[in-house]
Amino acid sequence: MADSSDNPVSIFKSVVSPKLGFPEAWVAQGQFRAHWKPVVDFLDKARPGVIKQRHDRVKRMRYEDGATFNPFDESSERLTPWNLDIIPFPVTAGEWKNLETGLIQRASLLENILADIYGPQSLIHGGQIPAEMIFANTHFLRACHGIQPAGNRFLTLYAVDVYRDENGGFRVLRDYGACPQGLGYALENRIVMSRVLSDFYHDTPVCRLAPFFQAFHSSLVQRAALRQKDPRIVLLSPGPDSPIYFEHALLSRYLNYPLVEGQDLTVRNGEVFLKKLNGLEPVEAIFRHTKDETSDPFALRRGTATGVAGLIQVCREQNIEIINPIGSGFVETPALSALLPALCRHMMGNDLILGNHPAWWCKDGESRNHVVNHLDELVVRHALKRSSTHQLPANLKQAIMETPYAFMASEPVRPSSVPVWDRTRVQSHFALMRVFVCATENGFSVMPGGLCITAPDVKTLLGTCPEKQQSKDIWVASDHPVEPFSLISGLQTAAEFNRSSDLPSRVADHLLWLGRYMERAEGRVRLLRSVFRRIAGESRMADIDELPFLLRLMHGHNTQPPLSVKGNSIIAYRKLLAHMNNAMYDKDRPESLVTIIHQVQQAARHVRDWFSVDSWRVINRLKDMGGTPADDPIELLDDILFALNAFSGLAMESMTRGLGWRFMDMGRRIERGINHTGLIRAGLSQLYGESPAILEALLEVSASIMTYRSRYRTTFQLAPVLDLLLIDESNPKSLAFQCSQLAAHVEQLPRQNERRFSNPEERIVLSMLTSVRLLDLTGINCQNSESDNPAISTFLETMEENLKEFAQVVSAHYLSRVPATPHYSVIAGDSEP
Amino acid sequence: MKYTITHTTTYTYSEPASLSQNELFLTPRPTDTQQVADTGLTILPEPQYLSSRLDYFGNLAHVFMVQHPHKELAMTAVSTVTTSAPATPDPENTSPWETVASRLSGYADPVDLSAYQYVFESPLVNLPPGVREYARVSFPPGMTILAGALDLNRRIFTEFTYDKAATTVDTPIARVLANRKGVCQDFAHLFIACFRSLGLAARYVSGYLETLPPPGKPKLVGADASHAWVSVFVPDFGWVDLDPTNNLITGERHITLAWGRDYGDVTPVKGVVMGGGMHTLSVMVDVSPRN
Repeated sequence: MADSSDNPVSIFKSVVSPKLGFPEAWVAQGQFRAHWKPVVDFLDKARPGVIKQRHDRVKRMRYEDGATFNPFDESSERLTPWNLDIIPFPVTAGEWKNLETGLIQRASLLENILADIYGPQSLIHGGQIPAEMIFANTHFLRACHGIQPAGNRFLTLYAVDVYRDENGGFRVLRDYGACPQGLGYALENRIVMSRVLSDFYHDTPVCRLAPFFQAFHSSLVQRAALRQKDPRIVLLSPGPDSPIYFEHALLSRYLNYPLVEGQDLTVRNGEVFLKKLNGLEPVEAIFRHTKDETSDPFALRRGTATGVAGLIQVCREQNIEIINPIGSGFVETPALSALLPALCRHMMGNDLILGNHPAWWCKDGESRNHVVNHLDELVVRHALKRSSTHQLPANLKQAIMETPYAFMASEPVRPSSVPVWDRTRVQSHFALMRVFVCATENGFSVMPGGLCITAPDVKTLLGTCPEKQQSKDIWVASDHPVEPFSLISGLQTAAEFNRSSDLPSRVADHLLWLGRYMERAEGRVRLLRSVFRRIAGESRMADIDELPFLLRLMHGHNTQPPLSVKGNSIIAYRKLLAHMNNAMYDKDRPESLVTIIHQVQQAARHVRDWFSVDSWRVINRLKDMGGTPADDPIELLDDILFALNAFSGLAMESMTRGLGWRFMDMGRRIERGINHTGLIRAGLSQLYGESPAILEALLEVSASIMTYRSRYRTTFQLAPVLDLLLIDESNPKSLAFQCSQLAAHVEQLPRQNERRFSNPEERIVLSMLTSVRLLDLTGINCQNSESDNPAISTFLETMEENLKEFAQVVSAHYLSRVPATPHYSVIAGDSEP
Repeated sequence: MKYTITHTTTYTYSEPASLSQNELFLTPRPTDTQQVADTGLTILPEPQYLSSRLDYFGNLAHVFMVQHPHKELAMTAVSTVTTSAPATPDPENTSPWETVASRLSGYADPVDLSAYQYVFESPLVNLPPGVREYARVSFPPGMTILAGALDLNRRIFTEFTYDKAATTVDTPIARVLANRKGVCQDFAHLFIACFRSLGLAARYVSGYLETLPPPGKPKLVGADASHAWVSVFVPDFGWVDLDPTNNLITGERHITLAWGRDYGDVTPVKGVVMGGGMHTLSVMVDVSPRN
């Protein structure tokens, strides 16, 4: 490839355009369309090295924002849905205007169809829609028939895949009506692009996306506000197992709708409530990201965990506004588009503006003949089933003749081609656009932009595997100057439930465990690091006094047998290294560092919308550590500790001091208390020895060495060490400090008119605090043997038990989640004798 | 005949259930041969939320919620109905089944259109391999629809064994067909699948059948049970109900609750409970003749 600095040759020059399909960027080789010129010129001005750099930055930002396919997946491969390409996809204002008009017409038409199908069904009775379209169609939900949506809108967020045919005209390939995917990715793409190409982006009049989201939100509020001034809106997600959970978390944060899962919501008195620590909070609107058929396990599919039992009954009562109303997936029925031209004339009195991809539904005799006579040239598919998982029958012709309504056929898609950045150079890929439309008070509004989906081959492009496709940010040229509007302003602060400090019980549970796992990881890192530091030195292992002590502490955590460091030093060293390796990397060990870090991430992913984007970057970095053995374990442990501290610092810093923060901090305190009592208990017998090195090591793993030194210089004695670690309430690492913090938290937890100290958790924490304050350390010194001072070990044992019981009691009181069990009556009608 | 039907369903939970929501299809549906004089529903503990509606198929459904902790939930429906024996067309004078199938798929008039919705697969009635072949034995070319239906009714009655232990609520049709065992619900589903495999319309009927005590013995209260049968569409006549479990055309002793595409549409008692641990179910049905 030519070096552009010496001899400026366009990086686009080498691109070979496919023979078929409309070329988006150029009229002929080297001759660019006018609206592509600025993009091409900008990129050509930069060296390929710079483009690569910026492209890598795009990838990194996407990754750090957590947009990876599954950030917690064990596999090292980073699968990202719709990987973002550095080259934007420009569209002229005029072209977009036409597309917009067509999409608004189509959205209105589909909404009218939904209103009829779920209402009077006059289109069926009048013969405009063949009856099979509802009778044999699982996208039509009988349970939703007769429901008038609370806001009187049947289609509120609609998306469509359009491609440009060989003549350059837009055609609709697919419609999405239940819970369109990709809106969050389109938003993320714009955020990333406007930052990576900020110089270019801000010089170019590109339509901003923020006004679309504002319109989306304000019309939702307007619809949901029928009953309430300030409606409570939640974003319902199937949970972190969804491959595009990132999108749910991003939209939740951006729109400031709390991210909830099915089990967070409950139905009472025909209304929806959010289960919070303090009780139930009414919900007026749901932005759902669950499919139609899994929205209500009570009325629809049994045994689904993602929905809310009774939700459809609430819809019947018109007590909830849902985006989109359940059942709107009907518009995704593949064969429906074939009926749209006629339906448009019938219902709207005009022609369909935006053309369909040429397709024939075999229900119609003429279409059937065409399909059967052109089977070799056409692509046959199920007409009434969206998913491609259903195999086509072997004898297609016979199947079509037997149940013609079940099949349709379309011409092969020949999408347009666009230049994309492929690692080191520009390549030509196929493209389609996913465009979003939302209902507003005045009809519909189209998002000026969207997700341009690209793939190297048509099959992948048309497939349903976002992680195999790439995406581009669609830049719609603005014909008037754009007002600067920051997309990000809504994103930087972590979403706290803004109406009260209360939070869903499920979230509190995860936060508590996140606090515990983070503290556990930190304690583990300190211990491992102390061991590595010592064996990395020049001393012979047998000469390091405190090494057996530290290994014993590890044993206190570990199921591994304690290791002897005596004997042949080389063999002992190897054994020790293997032992340490296991303690770090063995995934099957519940107490290995890698397991604990995994637990941190698992807990964090369930509450990811509680943390700022910055905290997420840190968590994602943590994932990269501790996977494979490092050259320098000390450096790695330092990095992990740094990341853990950075995350807890950011997380704690960006959370308001509400209940969420309290539960996370309680988790930390509980775990730190258990960890420290455990450490002292495990090493007590050796602590009674004489080695200052051992006392120093204990202070080191307890993170109290600096405090100790500042007070006592370098004299290590057991009594002051234990005083600092157990009783000294001014030391944030002491047991007494943990207890007093827990007491302070417990006081602030919601209670239902209960008397003070009437809860078991209050009583336990009070008893812990009292006994640690009253602990008498006089007379303890290193010359005493353990048996002389049974009080200490009994005390430590009791404390550890109390802390564990405290954790259980808090869980039982605030966090217990009761599973729902369905029951159905069984008919066993008697046979007559 | 005039009957009073008492249908009590009781759930007993091992631990308190915090929330229970249920949907009931326990109110008899008025038909040409059934007048519903009086119906009542008692739920204990008293639900905080109760709502009723006509469902997609025209049945009366009740939805209720008990929202405070309870260890037992009892639902009792009491109805008084008067039934009469339906008129049935001469089977030999009904249309050949092929004509019926093509008339349905043409759905030229509203009656045919409304029957046509019962021609398609539904959640619990799929069409596994072998169903069509089984059905075709009763429907050779030119066979009239009702004669074929009666033959199918008889074959299911004679070729299948009534066995409560053989199936559960979720037993697929393919297994029923393979094992030749089941209960009324399975026989109804199989019959419906056979009909639909030929492009014919059949629906699932949920209800009761008055049982007669053995000669000389008194009838035991509560010994009756829920029952299920099928209804087939005969053009120019209407719907004819057949009971494959008993090889009968339904008569005065059959009391209709509700109908739909399959059991799932008209499950008499269906619910979701939060908590409650293990539950035990008891059902008592009593169909008492009145004079």
